[in-house]
Amino acid sequence: MNYNNLLDLSQSLIDGVLFGSIYALIGIGFTLIFGVMNKINLSYAAASVAAAYVSLLIVQTAPPALVYVAAALVGGVLGALVYLICFHLLPLNKPLATLMSTVGMLLLIDEAIVHITAGMPQNYPAMFVGANIDIGPLSLRSDLLFVFGFGCLVMIGLTLLLKRTRLGLATRAVSQQPVAAQLCGMSITGTNMSTFVIAGFLGGTAGAMAGAAIGVLSPLLTLPLTVKGLVVTVIGGLGSIPGAIIAGLVVGGAENLFQYLRGVSERDIYVMLLLFAFLVFRPGGLFPPPAGRD
Amino acid sequence: MDFYLGLAQVIGVHTLLGLSAWCLLHTGQVSLAQGGFFAIGAYASGMLTTMAGWPLGVALPAAALISATVAVAVGFPALRVKGLMLVVATVAFAEIVRLVCFNLTWRVNTGSGPVGPDGSLGFGGIRYFPSNGWSSIEILILIWGLVAAVMLALAWFDRSRIGTLWRAVGEDEVAAQSVGINLTAAKVSAFGIGGAIAGLSGGIFAHQVTHIEHGNFTILLATFAIAYPILGGLASLWGTVLAVIFIQGFLIEGLRVLGDWRSLLFGALILLVMLLRPSGIITSPIGRWFARSIRFDRPAAPTTGGKTHA
Amino acid sequence: MQFRLTLLVGAVLGTFALTAPAANAQERTVKIYGIGAKSGVVRIFGLNSEAAMKAAADQINKTGGVTMGDGVKARMVIEYLDDRCSAEEGINALRRVASQPDAIVVNGPTCSNVAEPLFGILQKKAGDASDSGLQFPIYTDVAAKGGLASISEWSFRNVPSEAAMYKSMFEWVASTRKDLKTVWGGVEKDFAHSNATYNIMKDNATKAGLEVAGQSEWLLADTSFATQVREMKRANADVVAISAHPFTTCGVLKEMQRQGVKPKMLIGLTSSSSMETLQGCAQQAEGIYIPTSFAPVTPEAKTAAKAVQAFNVNMDLHNAAAWENMFVLKDVIERQKIMGKPETVAADRVKMREGLAGLKQTVGLLGPVNRGADREAIKPFLFVQAKGGEWIVAHKP
Repeated sequence: MNYNNLLDLSQSLIDGVLFGSIYALIGIGFTLIFGVMNKINLSYAAASVAAAYVSLLIVQTAPPALVYVAAALVGGVLGALVYLICFHLLPLNKPLATLMSTVGMLLLIDEAIVHITAGMPQNYPAMFVGANIDIGPLSLRSDLLFVFGFGCLVMIGLTLLLKRTRLGLATRAVSQQPVAAQLCGMSITGTNMSTFVIAGFLGGTAGAMAGAAIGVLSPLLTLPLTVKGLVVTVIGGLGSIPGAIIAGLVVGGAENLFQYLRGVSERDIYVMLLLFAFLVFRPGGLFPPPAGRD
Repeated sequence: MDFYLGLAQVIGVHTLLGLSAWCLLHTGQVSLAQGGFFAIGAYASGMLTTMAGWPLGVALPAAALISATVAVAVGFPALRVKGLMLVVATVAFAEIVRLVCFNLTWRVNTGSGPVGPDGSLGFGGIRYFPSNGWSSIEILILIWGLVAAVMLALAWFDRSRIGTLWRAVGEDEVAAQSVGINLTAAKVSAFGIGGAIAGLSGGIFAHQVTHIEHGNFTILLATFAIAYPILGGLASLWGTVLAVIFIQGFLIEGLRVLGDWRSLLFGALILLVMLLRPSGIITSPIGRWFARSIRFDRPAAPTTGGKTHA
Repeated sequence: MQFRLTLLVGAVLGTFALTAPAANAQERTVKIYGIGAKSGVVRIFGLNSEAAMKAAADQINKTGGVTMGDGVKARMVIEYLDDRCSAEEGINALRRVASQPDAIVVNGPTCSNVAEPLFGILQKKAGDASDSGLQFPIYTDVAAKGGLASISEWSFRNVPSEAAMYKSMFEWVASTRKDLKTVWGGVEKDFAHSNATYNIMKDNATKAGLEVAGQSEWLLADTSFATQVREMKRANADVVAISAHPFTTCGVLKEMQRQGVKPKMLIGLTSSSSMETLQGCAQQAEGIYIPTSFAPVTPEAKTAAKAVQAFNVNMDLHNAAAWENMFVLKDVIERQKIMGKPETVAADRVKMREGLAGLKQTVGLLGPVNRGADREAIKPFLFVQAKGGEWIVAHKP
């Protein structure tokens, strides 16, 4: 392996790991909802992309930063709606019904985007255009570094929220023992709703960041982001926020590593084989949730 | 008329796909690998009839057998993972199968030019039905004959000891294990039987559409495979049939009169049915009537739908 | 709640009963069916085709309509069915159309992965009694993957021959730009059409005397192109030829801008010569050359483009073919003395097939379109270039 190959390999890994920050953000949202409700929200990535689409409404009049904030806010609103429609109306002991209701929501959101834009890719404002950080011959994309930093901040913020605030206490109580929490006067609906809204903020931001990093929004984004989000959630360990961040970076890095080594046609075979093997040998993920009877 | 025969064929193929997922859901496993087994069956049977020149009557069971073998092989490692972990592990498997199809190039020369899978260009020319002069009604009889056979077999399973074991595992794994039920046997047999049924339906699918490619076998297909039994209700096999008729017959073909609204309503109506009937269409009056009037399986007893985490 | 669900199921059965459209007895009409994707990410193709078919039908009806076999003038009407770009749904749609007593021909589909199964379920050789395949003529406007019409004698296409286009394109490049020596390719590997076209590009670039140094590959839903573009950068080729649809074309062009890859010439895929690319990344696509079978350069093409705009869509190479098809079908109906009555429908379909098979040349918007024995078209084409957010004609071969 000569110098150039080594350089390309390192650069590919760096690019992959940095792009993994976006997977990490989506993964945090999945894991947050799973941590509280023990249920998966399959429409989450689609709602995140939809939030970015809605923020395009003000792209002509507002600076990019405001567009991203708008995406986050819309993400929060969509999160609340998804909770009310797909989760709140269904009995708690029907996890499969909830799974399907969120699949229905995923298809609905996807098709709504397609109908409004006719499926055409939409230009999305980029961040820090042309500003890359060079370390010797290697270069780091500053927009992805920003996403990475943002992800770390979110992790710290959420950990503080869960451990130090009354809302966090309520969230943990509801997730551990909903009936007892209710008997102590906590509102299950209120707690779950706030979790969905917070996850929605994150999702909207992730959608906007993905759009900014790629430069285009397309309905093609929703399914891959859903799969990547799920993968990151389980590798990290269900309910673990630091796990989701590490898993996101690992998945992004592994993708680019195999792309460099084996080419694009075989890339995903190796990534998926690795995932399958990982789950079989470490079924709890990197940070397994505390064992207990379901 | 031909249209309704064709639609009934599609409904038959999807019913088989749904039933394959039903087997796994019954043991409490949410598997998205069914699309992968379906793809294996499609490619295997297509290759056997076009490249090896086998008759369909031999190629279909062979394809089912191949799928079942792979399914058992996947079933053993998959035993270690549960709930959402299993969902993602099976997604990984289905994607591996799809990508192998995407990379598979194996062309042989026959009398009418080269045939066989051609990588990302797909695998065309699987014209066993038309070139052997099968009419729509004959294809329909074949498909629904298989559906009936599979449903009878599953209904019999369900009443027999195997079905009881499956259900026990599906309801509460730990309790089942503590009364001495062999979890491995129950779960792996469900994988194997489900894999065989999915392979069978994939085999018919390949011959029905004549051209298959990796894009037919995405996560979306696997999602539909589990959507049928869940939407229909796990309490009865008829739930799956009803759900397939609802999705393929009503949402996809029936709603054509609504024009552009059809595709928007697709997701919305799946959502709505789930909200109205969390235990499936089979628990609605029409579902109960349906199950009562053509009943050969266990009466629809209320179940909790399994303690599956997803 | 139970009542509501009963209502819902009632609606299921009701809709089944309603699916056969009632015939309108007052006025003689001839119905042309269309099939294409109006849902999912490729919705724009179906919308465009349907609009072009309707605009062409309007034009035909304004000038007196279609003369049927018994001499009566009929109005042309369009019915367009959505196939969601799925093989099964496309087959359902075709069977539905073939079950109608007024269906003599179908225009479509838009997706190659639907066209291939549709042609596959047709009878392979017309009149072969041992083949139970469907006997229904299909005339395709959009699905572009090479060589598909050879699957069945009932399948016809009016799509540009990408082999001819890229042959001419690279010959033009080699003869007018002597400073360009090397080519680097970019291909969307998991999309059959892009992949097939890339092989055509590669062959013709080599034949024209250019050196193809290699290629970067990516997948349809990929979002990160850094590794691929770095290979491209290292190759430092004079020409970059991208065979990909607008979403990834834009992604790659944006990454090229980020990494400062500026080839002396950019060449794109025929299907990207639409508004989609300009909507996604006009700035980065500036200067890209694409061969296309449509641009509003002739008076006929200008009229057609304007007529289609009245239906709120733009005319591009795909729906231009749909427009042309309507006029070809009118011509075939008149020449073959099609009756268009329920009792003659089987004979009409056979006559339509024979009429389409007998065509040696048809009228196209850019000039005459030659038809080959393989039921494919050899269409006139030109090269367009993206400049300032629109497509302008760069060269007419």
